Amino acid sequence: MKRILDLLRRSPNVHLGPLEQQLLSTLWMRGSATVREIVDGGEIKLAYTTVMTTLDRLFKKEILNRVADGRAFRYSPRYSQAEMEKAAVGETIRRLLGSSATAASLPLSYLVEAVSEHDAALLDDLQRLLDQKRLELRSEIRSGPASKETP
Amino acid sequence: MFAARCIGVSLAVFVLVYVSLSLLVSRGWKLLRRTLRPSSARGAAGLLFALRVLPLGASVFVTLAFTLPSFLLLEPRSTGEAIGAAPLALGLCCVVLLAAGIVRAALAQLRASRALVAWLNGSALMEPQIKESGNAIPIFRVANGSPTLTVAGLCAPKVLVSNAAIAALSSRELRTALRHEIAHAIRYDNLRKLLFRFSVFPAMGELEHAWSEETEMAADDAAVYSFHDALDLAAALIKVSRLGPVESSGELTMALLHSSTALSARVHRLVTWNQAQTRQSQARWAYVLPAAAALAIAALTTYGSALTQMHAVTEWLVR
Repeated sequence: MKRILDLLRRSPNVHLGPLEQQLLSTLWMRGSATVREIVDGGEIKLAYTTVMTTLDRLFKKEILNRVADGRAFRYSPRYSQAEMEKAAVGETIRRLLGSSATAASLPLSYLVEAVSEHDAALLDDLQRLLDQKRLELRSEIRSGPASKETP
Repeated sequence: MFAARCIGVSLAVFVLVYVSLSLLVSRGWKLLRRTLRPSSARGAAGLLFALRVLPLGASVFVTLAFTLPSFLLLEPRSTGEAIGAAPLALGLCCVVLLAAGIVRAALAQLRASRALVAWLNGSALMEPQIKESGNAIPIFRVANGSPTLTVAGLCAPKVLVSNAAIAALSSRELRTALRHEIAHAIRYDNLRKLLFRFSVFPAMGELEHAWSEETEMAADDAAVYSFHDALDLAAALIKVSRLGPVESSGELTMALLHSSTALSARVHRLVTWNQAQTRQSQARWAYVLPAAAALAIAALTTYGSALTQMHAVTEWLVR
């Protein structure tokens, strides 16, 4: 009961993005898994780094547990599906009764709503990926006509 | 008494249709999305938006096209029949629902308007970008401390760019990012968001988040014409993210964590951009128009009997 109350108190954190929900569902099905097992399992078609970052975020949100498994981490859900659903009900009631003032609830459109400073590592990963693609594009242009450009 | 019964019955039918459809949509939108598999982000956003507003639209339609006419035409005015407990209770539920929607929408709009006034304080109109974009969407250069790149306003949307964004982005990145924002403005996405606030129903949050993500991707698609543009927009996303959150209130926590996952997905999508993926044919939607026309003809030919049946339902409700 205390755990559920704790969850209810932290109800804003229970709200998860689609990818986070997908990964959590996968972990509920599997019981536990490493990033490699999820990526190789084929249920989620995303890059290794994206899955790793998302699982790390779920761990920081205190939704997943993790233990060292060789050179990687093995993740498992901290709460059962039923417990999470109860917490989600609390969040729904809170949102229904209260006037939520989240950025998403306002009639404004942001290029990027905001990214927390915890995601600096993610931004570094994305920047590396972008730099790599730019290099590939440059070498393609040098070697011949740019096949990916529109005519 | 006749007018009171008419209003009570109309509101009762409205709330019954609204709640039933909302339940159906909140439980079935994922299945429908998987079944229809829209070929583009814009198509997916359109489908999710249609599903989100379906309960409200259908309730208004049923009430105005069937409930009210059937009551006014078929209900005898001379009877002193009471409203009945069920229509009264359901009617009150409907009033509460509509009032909650109006309050939520009004509060959201009030907050957004206040924020916009503060952001526009000391802003300057950016003439060259307006001409370049070819759209009548005004672009304002705003002070640091405002959101880096934002669209604000409902019926007359405007794009706001902070000095920090102008300093951080290259001219190509800024141009692509502005095209993204203009795509939001052209599609009146803020007005759509406000409609979501008005259309109250719990368990719609996930659908709204999915719509929000697809809308962002659709705006990305609208802004990108080549792989070069895609990389520019991805770079703009990363740079703007590095400029940091505009606000740090606790209530934003949800959006921060959610958006970082979405950001990663968007950047991955942009760096693997190809034209075929974003500009696929809309043949699937070509079936919608004939189906809608057939439905309209069927509704017109059976309108009389539909009114009679609706009246029977309202009679059952009153008793």
